[in-house]
Amino acid sequence: MWNNELESAPMKNLLLTALVGLAGFALCASPAEAETRHYAVSWFGMATNSSDNDCSEGVHPVIEEIYLRYASRLGASPEQIADWRKKMMAGEVVAELYEMMMNRGRIDGEPVNPYAHPAAVMDLHLPGLDGRYAYGFDLDGKGADDPDGFEDPVTHELGVDHQMYRALGCSRAFRGTLEGRPTYYAWAWGQLKSSQPAWLISITGQDLGKDGPVTVAFNRALEHVRFNSDGSPRFDVAYRIDPDPRSHNRFEGELNDGTVTITEHGSLRLLQNPLVAPEFNLSNVHLRLTLNSDRTARGFIGGYQPWHPVYWGIAGVGFGGEQQVTGDIPGFYHLLKRYADADPDPVTGQNMAISTTYYLEAVPAFVAPATEVTAWLGSR
Amino acid sequence: MNRRARWWGVGAAIVLVAGGIAATVMMASSGVGPVLSGPPVTRRLTSVQYQNIIRDVFGGDIDIGGRLPPDLRLEGLLSIGASHVSITAAGMEQYDAMARAIAAQVVDEKHRDMLVRCQPASITAPDEQCAREFLAEAGRLLYRRPLTDRQLETYVTAAADATEITHDFYQGLKLSLSAMLTSPAFLFRVEVVEPDPNEEGAYRLDAYSKASQLSFFLWNSAPDSQLLAAAESGELHTRSGLEEQVERMIDSPRLEAGIRAFFADQLRFTEFATLAKDAQLFPKFNAQVAADAREQTLRTIIDVVLTDNRDFREIFTTKETFLTPALGAIYRVPIYKQGPNGSPDQWQPYEFAADDPRAGILTQVAFTALHSPAGRGSPTIRGKAVREIALCQEVPAPPGDVDFSKFLQASANPTSTARERLSAHASVPSCAGCHKIMDPIGLALENFNGAGGYRTIEGGVQIDASGVLDGIPFENAAGLGEAVYKNPAAVSCVVNRLSERALGRQVTSGERNWLDYLKSDFADNGYRLLALMEEIASSEALYSVLPSQQVASAPVENNREVTQ
Repeated sequence: MWNNELESAPMKNLLLTALVGLAGFALCASPAEAETRHYAVSWFGMATNSSDNDCSEGVHPVIEEIYLRYASRLGASPEQIADWRKKMMAGEVVAELYEMMMNRGRIDGEPVNPYAHPAAVMDLHLPGLDGRYAYGFDLDGKGADDPDGFEDPVTHELGVDHQMYRALGCSRAFRGTLEGRPTYYAWAWGQLKSSQPAWLISITGQDLGKDGPVTVAFNRALEHVRFNSDGSPRFDVAYRIDPDPRSHNRFEGELNDGTVTITEHGSLRLLQNPLVAPEFNLSNVHLRLTLNSDRTARGFIGGYQPWHPVYWGIAGVGFGGEQQVTGDIPGFYHLLKRYADADPDPVTGQNMAISTTYYLEAVPAFVAPATEVTAWLGSR
Repeated sequence: MNRRARWWGVGAAIVLVAGGIAATVMMASSGVGPVLSGPPVTRRLTSVQYQNIIRDVFGGDIDIGGRLPPDLRLEGLLSIGASHVSITAAGMEQYDAMARAIAAQVVDEKHRDMLVRCQPASITAPDEQCAREFLAEAGRLLYRRPLTDRQLETYVTAAADATEITHDFYQGLKLSLSAMLTSPAFLFRVEVVEPDPNEEGAYRLDAYSKASQLSFFLWNSAPDSQLLAAAESGELHTRSGLEEQVERMIDSPRLEAGIRAFFADQLRFTEFATLAKDAQLFPKFNAQVAADAREQTLRTIIDVVLTDNRDFREIFTTKETFLTPALGAIYRVPIYKQGPNGSPDQWQPYEFAADDPRAGILTQVAFTALHSPAGRGSPTIRGKAVREIALCQEVPAPPGDVDFSKFLQASANPTSTARERLSAHASVPSCAGCHKIMDPIGLALENFNGAGGYRTIEGGVQIDASGVLDGIPFENAAGLGEAVYKNPAAVSCVVNRLSERALGRQVTSGERNWLDYLKSDFADNGYRLLALMEEIASSEALYSVLPSQQVASAPVENNREVTQ
């Protein structure tokens, strides 16, 4: 059945019908009498655990100071820099500096938009994070021998690959913890949760009260994730799975002591919102998802992610967002490029993917294929 | 449908009631004892009736705007309160503003071709014939009777004068129409009484008042043109004419509005307007959920009593209901959206499992949440509501010198259950008398939190929802519904309240025989509400009145049982 709480006769019929329709679906090929728990993702952002000593070269300066560094490199005189600094500290709008920053890229010596042409912006060589701990997984299997490996603060696994955290973790907008969320992801998720259909997770096993093999499905819904009036995610909402095959993912895994992990690490693809990124892709997917007694689920999903879409997602905020949300956007381009650790370009050798870990929270939901519960979809 | 012979008719006699008051008494022709009619009443239109009339006369796209004066609930019903209210100065201002807004829409370019059937010779000059035609028809529907010549002449003249000033024919119509909409003849349902030619010394509603009595009872709106025509022709005063109209109106889709109005009134759904829940404790509950919950219960009732025409008492036991996705989250059942993302939610039928404690309207959010404080459930409030709403039993108000110390002492333990806390009432005689009739019933609903969500544990303890209702034991909330189903008071309650709604007042002791007959007939017809409504609507008791000079001293009986 679709949900361990469903017992009514009409719903059983519906569910049986829905199961029949699953043959070509990636939701789950459940064994007979399997139990499935469905969840709607209610928080999704890069896993961070910032601490006082994880940026030995210091946290990145505030954006105004970074602007002045760029200005200096672009030829502004020390006196001009001092005058702009003084004005900015007084809260004044420094139009001349802002104009320079909005065109701080250079192609053939000509100013260009830095967000659209980040490679044309000089690299200030902002530092990456060099702390010991990061949530995640040993994606490359190098273990303690991995010179770039972190130690997971919970599992204490060594060789954790989370280079995206290393790249962005010293920027103010990306610093945070699981509870005190990074500014950028609080903003990004705030945009996404109300503008993109919900992401759904379905865990199917023989008995989810016991350890054993499970299948894990990630799908996208037709509906947005629902929240309560106090901002908390709403439990027990019914979501329909979008028939679009681009957002169907299924993995083999296991349940052990209430935590679900993936044992066959494939690729994940979920459509997202072009406002941040058109789609979300991970390869070599790893998962550690705890099913809690309060019926929620929370945990980590990791893998290698193409870093260009990550950059473009950040860059979309432009000049205003750079000041208010993200910090130095072209700087992130250089950081991501520098720390990328997978999928080398066959010609340039530049790694095109970066290891990452996302922290997610999810609430219990009802889930069914849209084609089985929505007449109008079947007649489209 | 019940078609048995009516009890009115053959022999009538004049008798003296206790106290020496002379009054009309009708002898029964089919097992109904003598019936002494009650007084006529004048009722202000309820908010819903006002809206319904505007919709029925001018169409659903006329925006009423404004704020209708609040309705008054008396003896458990707005329908009775409507005969005890007037209009304040502030209320009149609102009526006036709404009247102007409605009249402006009726004659605007968007609506005039449809609503003003005649075309004036010139839109800048008075056209008496066209104005007369429109105002006569609108007035007939709004006043629920033809305008008198004097009334019509006044409105036609006023429209012409306004046209002369504004050089706009439709502005003239607007002025007179807005005046109609603020007239007491529209805002109040005045019962016009005439001698009954069939019974010497007896009085009855005149044909138009009879049409209104019938229409507001069955449709909660003004009579339509057909009903007014039956009144005008005198058909409505004949047995066959009345039955023909009742049958037509029972078969009309507009009957649903009448049934909804009755149950919304009986279930006190006006209280939804001020219902709020603590968002920290019940984050799922919001205005949309409240609106859907109200609609869920009404749909459940309509399904039982109208769509399926089943035993009325099944509203307390049915497993079948209708839910929206928003309600599905509250009930924790899968209600999938049917339309595209972002489209309005649609209602979907749902049946709770046989072993689910949800059964009947008492277990629905509209009951459990409405009869709970903002931050918790309350067995006492819910028990009182079951007594008063489902069984029409009056629970006396608490004494003025209540000692809360024992209750507070019992409440101090955070792990205590409501059952444990409320047990303190039993030890205080002044509390126990009333709480023993409320708390055990309300405790049956303890599996539902203050917002109607299901729970099994309170304070770490398994909730015990068992109890006894008037000698019928039950194990849980569904069992409470069964106990109400079996309770004769539930049947008496709906018969009394429906009769009172039709009459606009409490039933008098002289009408006891009529009530007894209705109850007996209701049982004979398998407790089908449509049969009961048809019987009431066809009863001459609904249209006969006591002469006004006898009203003041006519005995009025409180039909409600006072439960001690």
